[in-house]
Amino acid sequence: MSSVREWSDDAGALRRFGLALVRDDRFVFDDVAASALIEKLFRQASLTLVECPGGDRRAARVRAFAQFVRLYRRYARRLALDEDGGWIETPPSGRNCGSAAVGVRSLPLELREALLLVVLAGFTHREAAAALDLPLAVVVDRLVRARTRLAAHMGAARDAAAAWPQTAHLRIVK
Amino acid sequence: MTGRVDPAETLAYVDDCLEPEARRDFEARLTTDPELRREVALWESQNRAIRAAFGAPPRGALDLGGVINENGARRAGQAARSADDAARISGIARKPRQATCPVAKRRPPSGPGPTARRLVGALALTAALVCVGLPSVGPRPPAALFAAGAAAARALAHLPVEFAADDPAALAQRLGPRLALAPPLAPGLQLVGARLAPGSRATATLYLYDDARGERVTLLVEPLDEIAATPPQRGEIDGLSVAAWTGAGYGFAAAAADDADVAALIAAAGVDDDSLAGAGAQRR
Repeated sequence: MSSVREWSDDAGALRRFGLALVRDDRFVFDDVAASALIEKLFRQASLTLVECPGGDRRAARVRAFAQFVRLYRRYARRLALDEDGGWIETPPSGRNCGSAAVGVRSLPLELREALLLVVLAGFTHREAAAALDLPLAVVVDRLVRARTRLAAHMGAARDAAAAWPQTAHLRIVK
Repeated sequence: MTGRVDPAETLAYVDDCLEPEARRDFEARLTTDPELRREVALWESQNRAIRAAFGAPPRGALDLGGVINENGARRAGQAARSADDAARISGIARKPRQATCPVAKRRPPSGPGPTARRLVGALALTAALVCVGLPSVGPRPPAALFAAGAAAARALAHLPVEFAADDPAALAQRLGPRLALAPPLAPGLQLVGARLAPGSRATATLYLYDDARGERVTLLVEPLDEIAATPPQRGEIDGLSVAAWTGAGYGFAAAAADDADVAALIAAAGVDDDSLAGAGAQRR
């Protein structure tokens, strides 16, 4: 039962990660497709555990996330080629619009995926490096850059909010 | 960013990737380096903001004061049911098909027929009514209210209030017309505020008070239509002294660790064993 529960938690984590990472609604066009994709990725990951019972469940989880990252990278590359490099990820409509969410979405894909794997999916730096197929030092460098840019964005959002006149909606009625 | 500490190490600390010994060393440095503390605080707040922005649960267990995680229990139940279903389905699939059952022999009817049974039933009911009397349509013990009041006090008394006010009338007005019953003010109890809580049948208001020792005292007020007034029913659940009564179209349940606080609330509501409930509460 605990195994079922852990997989269910992992699927929820991958769904959140996917929603935060993907900026183009055409990648997964609706909720049913997203559920099917997540189920497929975790089924593949769990099959490796069945084939090799001594396998590490956490490693299987890393594989599922890595597969998602690879799929989205491939999709982004293909679109960029199809549109002669003119394809730009646009923030999808109807999603979170808080300053942290906007800041994360405004990061380039390579920074975004590293940051979200660690912060949102709860991976260690080594696991994130394995999932992204990159050396650990590169992942750490990307994390530092992502955090610095995000801090600047969130600071700017805070300053803008503070500069907004708080009493602008009040009128003096004579 | 500090010049003394490697940013990779700071990141590893914030993202909980350090070995226990390295973590202890880093925390020792944190105590002496305010700039490092500021940086760690900034990145930790970033982590929290990102997790909150995308709906992820915060890291670390939340202490909800003994609230039962209903989602966890439901999910565990669903998993158990699906495992049972799977076992049943696989069991059915493995079972060889049974041969057709032989037709059961019809047994001859025994005992009295349907008319006789109806007649005997009617006679028994009449005899019971004559001996015992008609069932009372008056007050019933508010056992469900009693349990709801105790559960709300256990789960919610120590959480922050949703509506903070020490003016009973203002508090009642903020809760809307159906729940607008000004809470009684008892001597020695300071009204802190109110929050919505599940009652025995409907949504109720949980008024929270602080007593002289700073302990929480709660009064659950639930609108109950067409209910007769009942005197307070006192009892104790898990070390909490609880009293429940009904009146004026409302159910009340007071709960506190100290029995004297409950008695004070009952007295402030103008209720005693002989009088009806709700006399002290003013309808707004």
